[in-house]
Amino acid sequence: MKVARRRILQASGIIAGALPLVGCEGVISNVADGLENPIPDETLVSSNKQIDQDFHLLSRATFGPRPGDLAYLKETGKAAWLKEQLHPESIDDRVGNLRSRRFETLELEAGDCCEFKREVLRRDLCRHALLKAVYSKRQLFEVMVSFWSDHLNINIEKGDCMYYKAAGDRLVIRKHALGKFQDLIRASATSPAMLVYLDGDQNKKEKPEDIPNENYARELLELHTMGVHGGYTQHDVFEVARCLTGWRVHDKFQRGGVFFEPKWHDDGEKKVLGHVISAHGGQSDIDKVVELACRHPATAQHIATKLVRHFVADKPPSKLVTSVAKTFSHTDGDIKECLIALFNSKEFDDYRGSKIKRPFQFIASALRATAADTHAHDPLIDYLTKMGQAPFQYPTPDGYPDRGEAWVATLLWRWNFALALIGNDVPSVKVSIEKLARSTGALKGETADPNKLMAHFLGRLPNENEKRALNIYVAQKSGKQQSQNLSQKLSQTTLAKARTDSGLVSVMLASPAFQRC
Amino acid sequence: MSRPLSRRNFLRRFVMSNGEIASANKGNVMVCIFLRGGADTLNMLAPYADDRYYKARPTLAIPKPKSTQTPDGCLLDLDGFYGLHPKLAPLHPIFLENRLAFVQAVGSDNTSGSHFDAQDQMEHGEAYLKPMGGGWLGRHLHSGDHRDQTRSPLSAVAIGSVIPESLRGAPSASAIDALDDIKLKGSEETCCALSKSLQCMYGAEIGILNQPGQSTLKLLDRMHNLGTKPYNPSGGAEYPRTSFGKGLKEIARLVKSEVGLEVACVDLGGWDTHFVQGSLTGLHADNLDYLAKGMAAFDKDLGNFRDRVTTLVMTEFGRRIYENGSLGTDHGRGFAMMLIGNRIKGGQVHGRYPGLESTQTDVLGPGGMSVRIDYRSILAEVLTGVLGNRNIDKVFPGFEPQPLGLISSRITT
Repeated sequence: MKVARRRILQASGIIAGALPLVGCEGVISNVADGLENPIPDETLVSSNKQIDQDFHLLSRATFGPRPGDLAYLKETGKAAWLKEQLHPESIDDRVGNLRSRRFETLELEAGDCCEFKREVLRRDLCRHALLKAVYSKRQLFEVMVSFWSDHLNINIEKGDCMYYKAAGDRLVIRKHALGKFQDLIRASATSPAMLVYLDGDQNKKEKPEDIPNENYARELLELHTMGVHGGYTQHDVFEVARCLTGWRVHDKFQRGGVFFEPKWHDDGEKKVLGHVISAHGGQSDIDKVVELACRHPATAQHIATKLVRHFVADKPPSKLVTSVAKTFSHTDGDIKECLIALFNSKEFDDYRGSKIKRPFQFIASALRATAADTHAHDPLIDYLTKMGQAPFQYPTPDGYPDRGEAWVATLLWRWNFALALIGNDVPSVKVSIEKLARSTGALKGETADPNKLMAHFLGRLPNENEKRALNIYVAQKSGKQQSQNLSQKLSQTTLAKARTDSGLVSVMLASPAFQRC
Repeated sequence: MSRPLSRRNFLRRFVMSNGEIASANKGNVMVCIFLRGGADTLNMLAPYADDRYYKARPTLAIPKPKSTQTPDGCLLDLDGFYGLHPKLAPLHPIFLENRLAFVQAVGSDNTSGSHFDAQDQMEHGEAYLKPMGGGWLGRHLHSGDHRDQTRSPLSAVAIGSVIPESLRGAPSASAIDALDDIKLKGSEETCCALSKSLQCMYGAEIGILNQPGQSTLKLLDRMHNLGTKPYNPSGGAEYPRTSFGKGLKEIARLVKSEVGLEVACVDLGGWDTHFVQGSLTGLHADNLDYLAKGMAAFDKDLGNFRDRVTTLVMTEFGRRIYENGSLGTDHGRGFAMMLIGNRIKGGQVHGRYPGLESTQTDVLGPGGMSVRIDYRSILAEVLTGVLGNRNIDKVFPGFEPQPLGLISSRITT
């Protein structure tokens, strides 16, 4: 979207004028809204009974549609839209950058973060992740960032990981999120955060009797590349661990700097996955191991399975997995090509509304759909913590689960979030439901048609049962028992009041259909 | 469900319909504590009489017991062969009262060395590479004596925000942090209208949101009627202020409020100690401290309810016998399971000591203590002997449990 020069000037005028008056964050909100109206005058909503195909793409390839996104995708066309999203650098993301740029700790070298308190680093990382998910226009990129952050999970609470994660987020995950898989794994292998998290920096053969620390070697094969039943043996784990001995992280001077310590390296011959790695390879052993693991056919299968599970269905259709795995192998692990194959498949279109949103996605999608204004302070992040998905805090290296079953126990918190968000009861988060209702056509003058708003949230019109459920709410709130001839028995004003009651929007966000995508 | 009613079942239903407390509510509770990450048995229940223990762990081993009275920098002797890590001292009195038992050399046939694969297998109650569907506690709840009764929404509870794999497929299961949190936050009328509307939608839902939606609504209803009184633990029990300690406190509260709890699950993580795990103090010792203080407080708090509660402590695998080059231990195999309860034949270590023979560079599977007892044998014995489940073949189909004599005859049902 082009921004007129006048708009920018207007925006900077707002900065100059408003700075002394309101807090800095208010200014950012104003400037961002000046760059682009968060709720357009008219918002296109689906009028289908089935989930709109484009809405479906937005539900999976982004953190959920914002008002206006559906119209934009329809205008642009799926192919061009995907191309744009797969080349995030081509997208003007001033709003996203403006909203998420105030975190200096995210820009620092690994070692420099040690100057900050852990709470500050944790908070910055979480806020940054959520703000990017909610406001960045480079949505598919952000979705992949979140996907790889789970795939190469780092728990920031362990050791010095808190200090090194920001650099890892930038130089491992974000740098390679849409690049080549092998580059991503290679970057992760010697990133300070991963070396600390999985004890790679303690894996040594200093004395002849030293036994290698297998922690990272095992997860490299089991989680990061081949998968638990990918065909490696326990002996392979041991041999990979030998290859990886000697990589260390400076912990005093130049803290966070990674270096290779030849004295700690086991320089003998190794045999990994049937290939001999000759003696005296030194620090090149790691390159060979990463290459062998990434090019193994089990890796293509494992990554394809995970991608299909994430974007298509909890039980990944095997035909699609095979085809994405083929693309992965043919393109030497080109992530973009895998995503194109995936989004253009018939299976992708078939599985609409079948995934359960994870808490992070539930919250991000609710904030996006309502065009909420937020700077993601603690009260908002606390909801993620309560629901068990605070960013970068999953304790074990397998990352937050990607199957719906793992998250269905969080409904109560989702319902409470829906109540609080719509009631403007989450400190630091503001929504304007009336504006949204007018934009979607759910509110025209005094007439209310909640179905339109529901269609905005679900990508389809509510079904008969959902309409009944909305009516139950309206009837309860207007103090009457539900009856067959509801509208006749209630006075118009009571009914209108109940229908425009913002609590009705909480019902929509708490509905089972909004938990799915 | 057209099974003819037995006289006992008939009577039970009769009692229920007359408004008495359902027998399920008076029944037994099983608490499962899962130590995630592979806890190091050899530094909890150390075989101090075996010299190889000290050879394999030059820096990690815990010194031999000096006296049975004070756990000062050494093991607490249990039986002349095993000693308890001093951080487990709070559990020692329970052992001496014969209510705490260990079962040595337990494990599964999982050779993947993977935490996730081994945990899933154990929580599903399966054999390696033979997936069965659902968790072992889920199948127990479907096959036990009370399977036909309407269950309390609080019959199966997990502490935290995730339902563990072991409860997968349970007729009803809730993940909670604290009972006080179970409420909708809004005006009375909005919340009431919201619940009714959600009932309409979740009730009609097909797929995996139906049951959790309905359970959550029932739970809200139940808690609304129960009201919330502040909870004071009995017997001067002081729970540690960790999420594990708080979790156990909530479980004790559920047991005592008689809301139909049958199984409860709580995790304690942080046992994957590859690096500098420590000996008398340090990472591993801290974990033991949380575990022991939490469990001792739980036991004290239960007071008169102890007859009804049996606690199991398990982990996915033990660690290697020998320490690695970074003063930690890698993934091993066998471990000792811990059981606490008045119905447990405690005060002893069941299961034969497997020895520490494992070779240094084990290439066939992670080296560790060997596995002599399939974990399912213990689960089966507790389900039968304590919870009265007569359909163990439904819980562990195709598995022949090996009885170990873990159940005490102190209490008769």
